[in-house]
Amino acid sequence: MKEILKEIEERFGPIWERVQRPKLAQVGIEPAKAVPLLTWLKEHRGYVTLVHLSAVDWIEQGEFQLTWLLGNPETEERLMICSRIDRENPAAETVSGLWPQAVTYEQEINEMFGVSFPGSPRQGVPFILEGWKDIPPMRRDFDTVAFVEKHIPGREGRKHIDTRTYIGEKFGEKGYLHD
Amino acid sequence: MDDKIVKPEPPLGGPPQGSRPHAPVGDGCFLGEEMKPQAPSYKEALARIKNWFRANSLWVMAYGTGCGAIELRPLATARFDMERLGIAMRPTPRQSNVLIVSGYLAVKSLKRVIRSYEQMPSPKWIVALGSCTINGGMYWDSYNTINRLDLYLPVDVYINGCMPRPEALVAGFQELMRRIKKGEADGWRHYMENLDWYKENQKKIITDWDLPEYNW
Ligand code: SF4
Repeated sequence: MKEILKEIEERFGPIWERVQRPKLAQVGIEPAKAVPLLTWLKEHRGYVTLVHLSAVDWIEQGEFQLTWLLGNPETEERLMICSRIDRENPAAETVSGLWPQAVTYEQEINEMFGVSFPGSPRQGVPFILEGWKDIPPMRRDFDTVAFVEKHIPGREGRKHIDTRTYIGEKFGEKGYLHD
Repeated sequence: MDDKIVKPEPPLGGPPQGSRPHAPVGDGCFLGEEMKPQAPSYKEALARIKNWFRANSLWVMAYGTGCGAIELRPLATARFDMERLGIAMRPTPRQSNVLIVSGYLAVKSLKRVIRSYEQMPSPKWIVALGSCTINGGMYWDSYNTINRLDLYLPVDVYINGCMPRPEALVAGFQELMRRIKKGEADGWRHYMENLDWYKENQKKIITDWDLPEYNW
């Protein structure tokens, strides 16, 4: 893993890296260089499988993190390419030209986080949410409980126990919970 | 088909009693409850015979939502073998008369379930599996799953648990058969008579309503 990380650094400039396991490493790179890096890894270094593409909402930093997880079936090594994009008007380059299955991931991220991938087919086409009018539900500022109370009728008599208060009361330690 | 003698309905417009209190369980004898001292009218006898036939001809639609569908596999195959009870799986709604809603239901699947349910030939029954169909279960605060199934479709038997084991399902099916024999499992008729109420609820939750008024 060390060699490929070194080579990436030489070719693509400063990166943030971490080897998590002997066959799994994480690479952070600025968004403009992410797709060239992915292309290079696929074409020249045998990382031909796109295992996963995911997004994380870092609301405190005002960023979304996209992670492309690549697999090399010959050496059985995996590389996570991470890239942070701005939370306002988030957009990222599509990799649907490299891996056709990325279309579905990008469609889903578009729906769940509101990140757009210009040029990717099926952007804006409903994937799971049909007729959704609220903000994308996987964003952390989306209040699920308020949404449910407003839109989804339930059955009377259901008792809700707030986990935080319950644990606080039970163990009598307010500082036990970090807030 | 003249089934008028079978139980009167709850008043129109009221919330359907999906989990109507069960009548005292009989001994599961041939024609439902204990035979009346005087002979029943021929219509009633006919209705009982019909119900007995229906109870022994349950065809389950092979469809599953949520985690509970996992328990249908052992139930349908060698381990618990539901065919010994006369229950079998069918691949399409047109060929089946029991719909198992096996757990949480996303709004998107609710639309498909309504479609399938309406396409099934009457008389038809719904068995709702797991706490998710009753009050939302552990998905009660999910933005995309309904919390209470009987607002949208008539439920004949609820089986609680998260998830219910195949034994519980077998018990649920026996309960369904008992209720069919007694002429109590008439959710399908309740659905037809209160169609406006059901449709109103369905349209409230399915925001991009594009179904026909009834899927014949
Ligand atoms: S009741 Fe439990 S097992 Fe069933 S769908 Fe809900 S969470 Fe899953």
